[in-house]
Amino acid sequence: MNFLTKAVILTAGLALAACTNPNRFDNTGGNALNGAGSNAAGSVSDPTSVAYFQQAVGDRVLFAVDQSTISPDYIQVLNGQATWLTTNADYVAVIEGHADEQGTREYNLALGARRANAVREYLISRGVAENRLKVVSYGKERPIEVCSDEACYTKNRRAVTVLSSGLTG
Amino acid sequence: MMRHLATLLLCLTLFGLPAFAQNGPLRIEITEGVIEPLPYAVPNFVPESGAAGEYGANIARVIADDLTGTGLFREVPASAYISQISDFAAPVQYADWKAINAQALVTGAVNVSGNTLTVKFRVYDVFSGAELGSGLQLAGTVDGWRRIAHKVADTVYSRITGEGGYFDSRVVFVSETGPKDDRKKRLAIMDYDGANVQYLTGSEAIVLAPRFSPNGDRVLYTSYETGFPRIYVLDVGNVQRRVLQQQDGTMSFAPRFAPNGQTVVYSLTQGGNTDIYTLDIASGSGARLTDAPSIETAPSYSPDGSQIVFESDRSGSQQLYVMPASGGEARRISFGQGRYGTPVWSPRGDLVAFTKQNNGRFHIGVMRLDGSEERLLTASFLDEGPTWAPNGRVLMFTRETQGAGGRASLYSVDISGRNLKPVRTPEGASDPSWSPLQN
Amino acid sequence: MDKANYISGAGHIGLISWALFGGVFSADPLPFQITEVSVISGAEYAAMIAAQDAPQSATEVALPQSPDPGEATPDVASAPDTTTNQSAPEQSQKPPQDIPVPPTPPTPPETVVEDTPPTPPSPPEDVAVLAPEVAEQAVPRPADRVAPEPVAEPDPEAAPADTTQEAVTAEETGDAVEQEPQEATAPEAATTQIVTEATAAPARSIRPPANRPSAPAPAPTPAAQPAAPTPPAENTDAAVNAALAEALGGTPEPSAPSGPPLSAGERDALRVAVSNCWNVGSLSTDALNTTVVVAVSLTEDGKPQTASIRMLSSSGGSAAAADQAFGAARRAIIRCGANGFDLPPEKYSQWRDIEMTFNPEGMRLK
Repeated sequence: MNFLTKAVILTAGLALAACTNPNRFDNTGGNALNGAGSNAAGSVSDPTSVAYFQQAVGDRVLFAVDQSTISPDYIQVLNGQATWLTTNADYVAVIEGHADEQGTREYNLALGARRANAVREYLISRGVAENRLKVVSYGKERPIEVCSDEACYTKNRRAVTVLSSGLTG
Repeated sequence: MMRHLATLLLCLTLFGLPAFAQNGPLRIEITEGVIEPLPYAVPNFVPESGAAGEYGANIARVIADDLTGTGLFREVPASAYISQISDFAAPVQYADWKAINAQALVTGAVNVSGNTLTVKFRVYDVFSGAELGSGLQLAGTVDGWRRIAHKVADTVYSRITGEGGYFDSRVVFVSETGPKDDRKKRLAIMDYDGANVQYLTGSEAIVLAPRFSPNGDRVLYTSYETGFPRIYVLDVGNVQRRVLQQQDGTMSFAPRFAPNGQTVVYSLTQGGNTDIYTLDIASGSGARLTDAPSIETAPSYSPDGSQIVFESDRSGSQQLYVMPASGGEARRISFGQGRYGTPVWSPRGDLVAFTKQNNGRFHIGVMRLDGSEERLLTASFLDEGPTWAPNGRVLMFTRETQGAGGRASLYSVDISGRNLKPVRTPEGASDPSWSPLQN
Repeated sequence: MDKANYISGAGHIGLISWALFGGVFSADPLPFQITEVSVISGAEYAAMIAAQDAPQSATEVALPQSPDPGEATPDVASAPDTTTNQSAPEQSQKPPQDIPVPPTPPTPPETVVEDTPPTPPSPPEDVAVLAPEVAEQAVPRPADRVAPEPVAEPDPEAAPADTTQEAVTAEETGDAVEQEPQEATAPEAATTQIVTEATAAPARSIRPPANRPSAPAPAPTPAAQPAAPTPPAENTDAAVNAALAEALGGTPEPSAPSGPPLSAGERDALRVAVSNCWNVGSLSTDALNTTVVVAVSLTEDGKPQTASIRMLSSSGGSAAAADQAFGAARRAIIRCGANGFDLPPEKYSQWRDIEMTFNPEGMRLK
C-alpha cells in the first residue's frame, strides 16, 4: 500500500533526525578528541567515529547521590560502549568521574574515582582490554550544569568515557 | 514550752555566734560578667627621624586593624583623644586616657635610617595606671614595615589577652576566576589580612587545597598538570615545584605535612579505592596507613605528630576517626547527625575543626578530640575546609554561594563563633591554609 | 441492536441511577466532641510556660530593684481561680517568695484591669523575668556586648558609657546655674548570650537547618549562684531558720556591732556593679578556666583603694592565666568603683574589706 510505505519512510526519517546536543564537555588533558575537530570521519552516521560513540552509543552514565553503583538504566549504554570499543580497537579511553557540589572537596574526588572505576570494571568485564582504559576523577571541579538544583546535580553526577586515538600510553 | 525554749536557744546562738566569728571581710562571688570588646587607643607612632615620615601613622593603622579585627578590641578614635603622644619618653597622663575610656594604650616611636626601620613601643593598662610588661624595640627592613607592625600587634594582643598572637602570618590559598563550569584556579599567597598577594602558579591546570609546611617555607598541593590529580611540593621562596607521587594508574591528593616537616600524609586512589599513605619527602619511601574498601581521606596530624585525624565513610556515611600516626586501629569521634569531613587538628592540640553537612546546610564546627562539646560556628549553603590560625583561636574557611553565579570567597571566625567576617582577596578564593607565626 | 447501543444505554441508566439514588450511600458525619478552649495571647502562653519552668530552678536572679508596689498586678494572673487577688495594694505586701506567680501580662477574661504592666518586673527569685523577654523576641539579636541584662540599641549619638546621661548643651543651662555640657551617653546595646551564625535564625536555605548540638540555652540561667541569704521574711520562725542556715552555712555574715547586716539587696548591688565591669571577652581560654580570689579595701565613700587590690589565691589555671584573670578582675573593681560603689555608709565596717571570688566557669563560651 502506497500510503503505508510513505508513512513508514517518513517516520523513520524523523526518528533518525532526532538529535542530541553535541558534547560541550572540555578536557584539560592533551589528546582528547571530543567536540569538533575530530580527525576521524566526523559524522554521526559513521559508526566508527567518535561522534557516533558520543551520541548514538552514549558516552556517559549518571549516578544517584553519594552512589557509585551502575544503575540498570545505564547497563545498556555501557554494553554499547564495550561493543564499540572492542570493535574499534585503535582507541583508548579515559573514564572521568565527577560529583555534584554537595560535598567537600576531597571526598568528592574520591567519589568521582569510585564512579569512574565502576565503569571501568564493567567495561573490562564486557571484554575491553584493561590497558586501554584509564580513570581520572575531577570531583566537583568540572560541573557541566551550574545551577544549584537537583536538575543540575543529576547531570553532574556522571562518569564520562573520553576517547583518544590509541597510541598506548 | 519546749518550742519556746528551742526558739530561745536559737536566738541565743544567733547572737552568740557573731561574738565568736571574726569581723571578717565581706565575701561575694562574681560568676557573671560581660563579654565586650576592650576599648584601646593607639596614637600614631612618633617619628624620631625625618625619614620616618608616614611610617608612624601607617604602622599605627595596621596595629589598630589587627586588634579591632579580632573582635575582642574596640578602638577609641583619635578624634576623642584629650592628650597627644608627641614624645615617646614622656610620662603618660593616665587621667586623660581614663576620661575617654581607653582601657589599654599603645604608644610607640619609629626611626628610619637607610634601609633599616626601628620601632619602639609600650603597652599601658590605663585603669591600673601602670605599664603592662616592658617596652620593646623591633628592627627590620623598610619594606617589611607591615610585618613589624604585625609583630607589635601580636605582643599587645598577647600581653592583654594572654593568648598567643597570630598577626605576623601568611595564608596560601587558591585564587579563582571564571564561571562555575570553567573555573580557572591558581595558587596564591598573601599576608593573613589580605595584603601583599603573590601568585605561585599559573592557571593552566586545576590546582587544589595547598597546605603549608610546619615552618612555612614550603607548600603541598594537588595539581592536574599531568592530566591526573597528583601531589606536589612547592618552595615558597623560589617557587620551584616537584611532583611527589606519579605511579601510573593512581591518583593522589589531600597532602599534609607531619610536624617534623619531613613526612607527608596523603590520600592515594587505586582501583577506585582511596586510602591514606605516608611518604618521606626526601627519600620518597612510603607506607600505607589504612586498608579498607571505604573512602579514607583528609588526614591531619596532631601537633605532637603522634596521631592522625581523618575522614572515612566506613560506617556508611562520612565521619571522623583518630588513629596512631603509624596506622592501626581507628576510633570514631563524630556522632552527631549529618556528615563530617575535612578534619583539622588545632595547633593547641585541644580541638578538631571540621565541615559538617546536615539537611542541606553546611557548617564549620569544632569538637574535642573525644568528640564531645561539638559546636557549630557557621551555617550556609556551602562552607568547607577550615584552617587554624597559629594561636588556635581563629578559623579561616571557604564559603561558596549558591546558583549559577556562585562564587567562592574566604571567611574567618573566632572559635566562639563570633566575629564572622570575610577576608579580602583580589578575586574569588578557596582552600585557605594558615602559616605558623613567622620568626 | 448492536453493541454500541447497549453500552450507551447502560451508561445512561447508570448515570441516572447514581443521580437519583447515590445519596443513599453517604454516611452521616460521626459525632465528635467539642472541647472548650480559651484563647490567650501568645505572650501570655509563653510566659505561663516559662513560669512553670522557673520555680523548679534553684538559681536566683537578683535584680537591683525590688518590685515596684504599684505594679503588683502580675499577681492578677492567677485570677481564674480566685477573685480576691485583684486588689493591688495587698499584693505589694506579700513577701516576694511566697507564691511563684507567673508574671503574665493580664487580661484573663474575668478580671477588670485598668493598666497593664508592660513587662512585669516579677519577684527576684523568678527567673522568668528574663524569659518572657526572650520568648517574645524569638532570637537574641547579635550585639558586640554580651551582658547579663539585655540593653536595647541606644541613640546612635550617645557615646558608650556605663550609665545613661542626657545630652546637656550649653543653651539649656540658662543664666545662673552652669552645667558642663555633657555628651549623651547610654549603655551599649547588649544581649544576654553570644549569637553566632549557627545559632541565629537562618535567612534562607534549601531546607531549614536541622539539629544544632549544644546550642546555648535560651534562658540565661546563671551558673551556680552563691548561697545568698534569703530576704527578710515576715514571720520570725522563717527569719530564725534562715539566719541560722546562713550562720552555719558557707557565708558567714558580718555581725551586728555596726548596724544590721548588709541586706541581700545591698550585697547584690555590689556584686552586679562589679559584674558589669568584669570583661572576660579578651581573656584567653586558659584564663577562663581560672578562678581568682581578690581582696580589696574600700574608702568610706565606696571607692576601691587601688593599692589594696591583691590576689589572694587562684585555682584552675597556670600562673600566667591567673595573672590574666587577676588583671581582668582588678580592672572590673577599679572601673566600676571609680565613682564609688553604692553601699550604706553606716555599715562601713562591714564592707571596708572585701574578698571577691571571680569564677568564670559560667562565662566560658557562653
